Amino acid sequence: MTAREPMAMPSGFSLCKYCGLLSKITSTHETSYCPRCSHKLAFRRHESIQRTWALIIAAAICYIPANILPVMTSVTLVGAEEDTIIDGVILLYLTGSWHLALIVLIASVMIPMAKLFALAYLLITVQRRSIKSNRERVKLYRLVEFIGRWSMLDVFVISFVVALVQIKPLMAAEPRAGIVFFAAVVVLTIFAAQSFDPRLIWDSDDSMENRND
Amino acid sequence: MIENNDISNIPEATTAPHKRARFSVIWIIPIIAALVGIGIAVQRFLNEGPTITITFKVAEGIEAGKTFVKYKDVNIGQVTKVSLSEDYSQVVVTAKIAKNAKNLLVKDAKFWIMQPRISLSGVSGIGTLLSGNYIGLEVGKSTEKQRIFTGLDTPPIVANTEPGRQFLLKADNLGSLGFGSPLYYRQLSVGQVIGYDLAKDGKSVDIKVFVNAPYDKYVTTDTRFWQASGIDVSMGANGIVIRTQSLASVLAGGIAFETPPYSPSVKPAADNAVFTLFDNQDAATAKRDMKDDPFMLVFDESIRGLTVGAPLTYLGIEVGEVKKIGLHYDPVAFTFKPYALVSYYEERFSSQLDNIDVAVRDYIRNHPKNNWGNDHQGTQKLIDKGLRAQLRLGNIVTGQLYIALDYFPRAPKVKIDWKKTPPRLPVMPSGLAEFQLKITNILHKIDKIPFDEIGKDTKKAIVTLDETLKEAKKVLGRIDAEIVPEAKTAIESLKRAIAAAERVLVNTDKTMIGPDAPVTQELREALQEITRAARALKVFTEYMDSHPEALITGKTQEKGK
Repeated sequence: MTAREPMAMPSGFSLCKYCGLLSKITSTHETSYCPRCSHKLAFRRHESIQRTWALIIAAAICYIPANILPVMTSVTLVGAEEDTIIDGVILLYLTGSWHLALIVLIASVMIPMAKLFALAYLLITVQRRSIKSNRERVKLYRLVEFIGRWSMLDVFVISFVVALVQIKPLMAAEPRAGIVFFAAVVVLTIFAAQSFDPRLIWDSDDSMENRND
Repeated sequence: MIENNDISNIPEATTAPHKRARFSVIWIIPIIAALVGIGIAVQRFLNEGPTITITFKVAEGIEAGKTFVKYKDVNIGQVTKVSLSEDYSQVVVTAKIAKNAKNLLVKDAKFWIMQPRISLSGVSGIGTLLSGNYIGLEVGKSTEKQRIFTGLDTPPIVANTEPGRQFLLKADNLGSLGFGSPLYYRQLSVGQVIGYDLAKDGKSVDIKVFVNAPYDKYVTTDTRFWQASGIDVSMGANGIVIRTQSLASVLAGGIAFETPPYSPSVKPAADNAVFTLFDNQDAATAKRDMKDDPFMLVFDESIRGLTVGAPLTYLGIEVGEVKKIGLHYDPVAFTFKPYALVSYYEERFSSQLDNIDVAVRDYIRNHPKNNWGNDHQGTQKLIDKGLRAQLRLGNIVTGQLYIALDYFPRAPKVKIDWKKTPPRLPVMPSGLAEFQLKITNILHKIDKIPFDEIGKDTKKAIVTLDETLKEAKKVLGRIDAEIVPEAKTAIESLKRAIAAAERVLVNTDKTMIGPDAPVTQELREALQEITRAARALKVFTEYMDSHPEALITGKTQEKGK
């Protein structure tokens, strides 16, 4: 055993994602293709860092209107009221259901933000070729990837409310632009998480000194 | 499983040159996101309406973020901040107005807090019970922009855009009028009081009224306005008159107007024209702009009961009124006599003439110099015929007087002194003094009746009567005592007579004696006796008939004795 574990990229091997054929990449200056299915070969996800950055920035941009613009208008007999996500949280808190308020606050405000920060942190550490706490970073990545699918809570709630609360003229609910941006934030962060290649975390780890097993 | 020795068998990937220097297409996504975000921000910024501040005395039910600003019940903005003014005396409300409504924010736009209001003249703002109070906006006519406003205490009564016209009424006092007091034309509500204030000199009240569009044309230059507040009960020489408008006006007050039918001018009044607000309909319709001729009447008697406004009649037809009452000092005779200044209205007189041509009437109207007051000769001619003014009793209950112009052909001749202004008309002492004198005389005569003596005499008579009655009683007693036994004897003798008669009859039967026989004579005597007895009985029964009690009282008296 050498000090270095055998890894595909440093050894010049690449697995075709589509036909599963392992092939040797001879030139890094030219684009390589699978000899069997002619699919493009790459050691890492294509333009992973750049794509992830782009998606994170887009999500961050969308995050602002998602929180500023109203997500829903509730029309009642006495008038229409436009609510942003924070308005909803405050309303829930004021009406006494602080636990619901907490859920909405965490799921709709804090988690998207946390995801953005987490992905940005991963990207920055990868780009700075950091070798510290690789395992923790992978765990963080898994967490981000896992949480992603649960982040559509608000969108889900509002779709339901809008569909069900249509007791015109007593009461009606209508979606507003904010929810579109919110959905965009969620979708973009999911894509960002998908486009990030966790293998990059280990690429800087040319020495295994910090690995004890 | 890949084994180490298989590595050599791993095929080599085919290669091709890099297509181009990569700049990932993925960057389009954040660019799009940024563009959309910026677009929304720009749109928001462009749609951002003006922020206004309104000062209110009290911010009743106004909450930041919840209270809307509405124009014609449409949301045009929202209150963003409620704060106190620097000296804590007022409330400053900051509101954001939608951009498309910014043209409403002109100099004379009015803001007020809309809340439920219940007053005698109606109920408003009921909707705010559910929706909460809001700030109402009434657009102005100005085009000058303004961002700082002072809120009204009450909603404006008439919208600026409402068609109609505004007039100014000058009144001595406000009476029971208030904001929104109705304005009546022929008892139809056609407008409202939209404001009032003291006149600048503080001597009268300026009342602004608004007459709604189709009716404002009935306000002419000669229209009279009067207070229709409550119930107008007036008691004058004409008796008791009660006038009201609608029930609402009885409670809440109101103003009525009318153009008198005789009014010569039918030109619609100008906007903001000034009118006088009279206290009542009489005052409003009686006071005319027409030419009046003042006359002075100096009386030698008390004019108690004569009031300003009392009618002046010519042979019973009203032709004028009393304008002023006072005392006249005559320095030569050193006397203070009551006088009345009366106005004679030529127009009222001529309007009563049946055979006068309209043209002639117009001529009289248009040539005031030709009227009675200045027609010295004509007036003197009437005076010569005996025309005199006289105080008369209009209402016997209230003692209200009026002045009558009447003819007294035997009155001494008088020449009017036209140099005096106003000229003095001769006065005839009223029948009133005479009337009073007569009543006094009657009273004096009644006074002279010796009621005392009459009383004494009556007393005497009563005493005599008493005695007489006592005597009568005695007589009756005597009758009882004397006549009753007499009657007894009479009955007994009657019995006897009948017995005799029986006997005679029996004899007659037995003997059958002729008429000339002594039996017959006996029979005659017997019959005569019966007749006497019957008469006595008749007298008795008659007495008993009329005095049935005599039987009892007589007996009791006898017992008493």
